[in-house]
Amino acid sequence: MTAFIVFTLAAIGTYLIRLSGIFFLGDGEKLPPRVRKALSLVAPAAMAAIIANALFLDGGQWRDFGAWHIAALVAVGVALWKRSMGWTLVAGAGAFAALLIAGL
Amino acid sequence: MTTRPPSPGKKPVAGIGPQQWRDFWTGTVAIAPLMPGSIVFGLAFGALITEVGLPAWMAPYASATVTAGASQIAIVEALRQNAPMLIAVATALVINARLALYSASLAPVFAAFPRRWKLILAYLMTDQSAAVSVFEAPRWPDPVRRRWFILGVSGPFVTVWIAGTAAGALLGPVIPEAWQIGFIVPLMFIAVMVPALRTWPAVAAAGISTAVVLILKDLPYGLNVLIGALLGIALASFIPDKKADSGAEPATDPTGGEGS
Repeated sequence: MTAFIVFTLAAIGTYLIRLSGIFFLGDGEKLPPRVRKALSLVAPAAMAAIIANALFLDGGQWRDFGAWHIAALVAVGVALWKRSMGWTLVAGAGAFAALLIAGL
Repeated sequence: MTTRPPSPGKKPVAGIGPQQWRDFWTGTVAIAPLMPGSIVFGLAFGALITEVGLPAWMAPYASATVTAGASQIAIVEALRQNAPMLIAVATALVINARLALYSASLAPVFAAFPRRWKLILAYLMTDQSAAVSVFEAPRWPDPVRRRWFILGVSGPFVTVWIAGTAAGALLGPVIPEAWQIGFIVPLMFIAVMVPALRTWPAVAAAGISTAVVLILKDLPYGLNVLIGALLGIALASFIPDKKADSGAEPATDPTGGEGS
């Protein structure tokens, strides 16, 4: 029951968060260029933050250097080379699997 | 995932015209490479739910209502540690605060949509679909075709996430722990973000954000992620627009954060 209430409250709050920008900034065409530019940077900044937190840290501590870092580097390299989501995922997952099998 | 479009034909299907189906399908194809990752991550979340002793239906329920994997895991972790309900909810909302930023960046993209479309597309918003929508929106100047495209990006992606968690809850831990499935999280975000890093401000935003997250790693409740994203946006917006050449340094280069 506790879990049900927590998930439900989190769902309501999260939906309000999802609505916030769309409705407060409804007519985006009239926003000043500076604000529009800042908004265009949201996706790269937020995603980099999640990547850094998940990749370099593990429960708030530095992750030991190994398969995670090397496979991520392979993925970044392929992403810049091919500019393709699909190839990046295939290369990153493939490299990670190979490194785990190799015992890293 | 089906391998061909839901045969539009000449007549409307379910009251929806062939052009709309095609635009929807184009959106689904655009996000399809991320679906396997979403399913695997869903399997892991579903298994986690049953592992901590919660009923199996709670997994698809959480995925269909909260629809944000990282926060759902944070809630399960909080419940497992007997955290007060308010702390569990607050932690999830702090982690999901980044969606307010996506919502803001989608405001201009959604501006011409009817209200009910905004309500539905907001509900289906995820990191992945928001990013694909923002990056692809300039190619869809017509608001009607654009909203069908974005529905095609968002809807099926959420559907496979829910299906994946349901399957995970039923099957239990089918994925061995040794596979370190958590790597899916950075990998999916690298796949979405890095190919789209085409301007210097975007590269700077990613780099600054990475550095701040690592410097502030000891902050509780994932606040380092939130502050890192905000500082990345704020500082990088001072950098003048100029196309980055394709040889730009990858902002997520693992060596980039070692100095902090």
